[in-house]
Amino acid sequence: MTALLKLDHVSKMFVRGGILSSHRVAAVRDVSFAIAADKAEIVTIIGESGSGKSTLARMILGIQMPTAGTLELYGRNVAKASRAERRAFMAMVQPIFQNPFDAFNPLKKLDRYLFMTAERFGGAAAGEVAQTAADVALKKVGLSLAEVRGRFPHELSGGQLQRVAIARALVSNPRLIVADEPVSMVDASLRMAIVNLFGRLRDEMGISIVYITHDLATAYYISDRIIIMQKGEVVETGDARGVLSAPQHPYSRRLRDSVLTADGPRLVASS
Amino acid sequence: MWGIVKDLIKYNSEFRIGATLILVVLTIAGLSLVSPYPANVTYVVAPDVPPSRAHWFGTTSRGQDVFWQLTFAIRNTLVFGILVAGLSRLLSLAIGLVAGYRGGWVDRVLMSINDTFIVIPLFPVLILFYFVLRDRMSTALLALIMACLGWAYDARLIRSVAMSIKSREFTETSIFSGMTTREILMQEHLPYVMPIVFSTTMNNMNWSIGLEVTLAVLGFMDIDTPTIGSMIYWANQHTAIVAGIWWWIAFPVGLVVMTFVGLFLLAVSMNEYIDPRSRLARMGGGVR
Amino acid sequence: MTGPPVLSVENLQAYYRTHYFGVNREVRAVDGITFDVHDNEIYGLAGESSSGKTTLIKTVAGLLKPPLQFVGGAARFSFLPGHDALATAPRAVALGVWWSRLSFIMQGSMNVLNPLRRIRRTFRDFALRHVRGTRQEFGQRVLDHLARVRLDPSVLDAYPHELSGGMRQRVTIALATICKPQFIIADEPTTALDVVIQKDVLGMIRQIQREMGSSVLLVTHDMGVHAALTDRLGIMYAGRLVEEAPTRKLFAAPMHPYTQHLIASLPRIGDAGHRNSLEGSPPNLADPPSGCRFHPRCPLARDVCRASAPPLIVAGGGHRVACHVVAGAGAS
Repeated sequence: MTALLKLDHVSKMFVRGGILSSHRVAAVRDVSFAIAADKAEIVTIIGESGSGKSTLARMILGIQMPTAGTLELYGRNVAKASRAERRAFMAMVQPIFQNPFDAFNPLKKLDRYLFMTAERFGGAAAGEVAQTAADVALKKVGLSLAEVRGRFPHELSGGQLQRVAIARALVSNPRLIVADEPVSMVDASLRMAIVNLFGRLRDEMGISIVYITHDLATAYYISDRIIIMQKGEVVETGDARGVLSAPQHPYSRRLRDSVLTADGPRLVASS
Repeated sequence: MWGIVKDLIKYNSEFRIGATLILVVLTIAGLSLVSPYPANVTYVVAPDVPPSRAHWFGTTSRGQDVFWQLTFAIRNTLVFGILVAGLSRLLSLAIGLVAGYRGGWVDRVLMSINDTFIVIPLFPVLILFYFVLRDRMSTALLALIMACLGWAYDARLIRSVAMSIKSREFTETSIFSGMTTREILMQEHLPYVMPIVFSTTMNNMNWSIGLEVTLAVLGFMDIDTPTIGSMIYWANQHTAIVAGIWWWIAFPVGLVVMTFVGLFLLAVSMNEYIDPRSRLARMGGGVR
Repeated sequence: MTGPPVLSVENLQAYYRTHYFGVNREVRAVDGITFDVHDNEIYGLAGESSSGKTTLIKTVAGLLKPPLQFVGGAARFSFLPGHDALATAPRAVALGVWWSRLSFIMQGSMNVLNPLRRIRRTFRDFALRHVRGTRQEFGQRVLDHLARVRLDPSVLDAYPHELSGGMRQRVTIALATICKPQFIIADEPTTALDVVIQKDVLGMIRQIQREMGSSVLLVTHDMGVHAALTDRLGIMYAGRLVEEAPTRKLFAAPMHPYTQHLIASLPRIGDAGHRNSLEGSPPNLADPPSGCRFHPRCPLARDVCRASAPPLIVAGGGHRVACHVVAGAGAS
């Protein structure tokens, strides 16, 4: 069975500087993992800033191409895909971004994006069919078209906007959702609704999710598998609860020890 | 649309003044359609008559009524300005948006062309065109040439706005909603670019009218078609100031200054209104 | 911890008032807040977006700019007797107090550090005028301070972009504390930082506070930070203070329904039990709900909650809570 997503020794180099002086920065170094097509799972990629997790997300989405290694979607190499195939990939792999307030054009109505996705990717002709598709997607995230119709982004809260963004991603019936820090800018009291929603997407709709975050607590709560990255390389990977309860790699240990929780120890004056 | 205009009239004094001035100018231009005297004919009335009841703005040394000549002149000048501004906007928008959005080598090539055009010294080039084309130089042709030379500066402004919007996340959302590049530029980015387009249109009109007046005053134009510049040209030819025929110079100059100021005030006031940030504040978002 | 409070906020009100082309909006961001910050303590203010906490600290510090307006109430500092609020005091008074008695640690270090100047120069820009003495003495004082907060002196010669994000934030903290202020306001000091660095930076804040005996008003939405650092904690919702207690007590036994839900919804490593989030969303402060602002989302809401806003009542042990239901149950 071909895997849904397969990364094989993927690397990404960036060249900084002009014509005369330049130096190469390795954002992602030799990353390999796969997500099976028959069983939905949530794979969390944990890392700090500069770990390469966002670059990895962009490569999976097809926004950027790897400079080494291969990235395959359902067995097809993304770098070598034709235009039509790339469009098909876009329907299959949809993003959720960090800032819900910037995910939509503040000057435009929200439902427009839902209808657009339905028409372009969902195979719906304009009008009634698109509206039904949008309504179905919104119901899956706990909203409805009646609530969202005609609204502008500033009329909704961060949590609601992120749910609309997820609904938009669901309209094209994707198999994989890449969520880049989806709840870091959402209020704490509304966060769990979104995180629980990811769980429902996996269990009820069979959608796999690549969940990128720096928040270990939500990662522990929702993920099946975890990949910890540091400076572009994978330092530890495995079953999420197992790794977070007993991390092996020194960097993972440091991450785990730095987490501040409500019932954790008080901070004494440190150096 | 009307709601916007009503709001502006009520709250923005700059808009009120600017709109009034432009309305006056447009009325005068519109009156050219009912002019009792044809445009190009000379010596139809008594020459050198000061402003009076019969001739509101006086008459010229060439035997033309200044007021009715002015109606034709300002109409032709305005049409010229609008033509240049319109054509060059299309060019700036197309090049600026594409360069800003595409980036990479497309951007570099377009900007090299752009910078070449910015550096071209306009005035000598226009004079050169005149000497080459001479009799065939009509207003329309001049408008075309100036449009082709006047887009460069604004294209760069539009490009920088396009570049800053490209990096915002809603552009990615649009891509993943299946919008094509053209649709994204026209529907998502254009509202952010419009304030610049608007104010540069006004500036462009001022610039083109100014240049046209300059050329005509120097005689590098079709001097039989009445424009503001050609009126001043003829006034100079007849040494109107020295001869005391001040009304021949004063009224065209006054009217064109009124046009400039009116356009400028309109641009400034509408700009504040179209700006996305103030739009957002009015819609209710943006204040936290 | 006892003694006269360093900061005494009483029924503070500050609204955003905008007039754009005939549309008048009044956002009641801070609507009647009362609390005290004692000497030598870290007081935390927790709240989510549109809770009004950022507006509150701007008002307390006297940094009001239109469209934000001071509407009423008081925010008295013990070192500034005779003035009800910095927001209404004359500018000369405020200038005398900013940075020398009252100091800020802001969210992004790049909001404070001039990217075109070396750190040494930034120290001079901020602090020289408050410190009596010559340039030499000032330089020595900077070095002493850096040694005390365990920052390498080589940092003085660097430009901000040459330092890492965590290092920059530590420089910002050193900058904020060099004049030994009595009161420090910290606005989301570690939100933009990585988890590992966050711990160091928070430790630094704790250490400085202990050594100098200053009071800190720490504002953040991150409950974990509050749990680790603060002595007392106040919870803000929709422009009002809904609960306040010593931190340990608040986390162990929260009384207000909002606080209870908030704490219950936080995920923890080691506990994979299901967590629920709150229904609905934070209210629009331009048109807030009547009475208790939490009632549309509250599972315990009754008619009285819709009718009138609950006052902050004392519930013993330094615990204050603003809830009709709790008041009804406890006060009997």
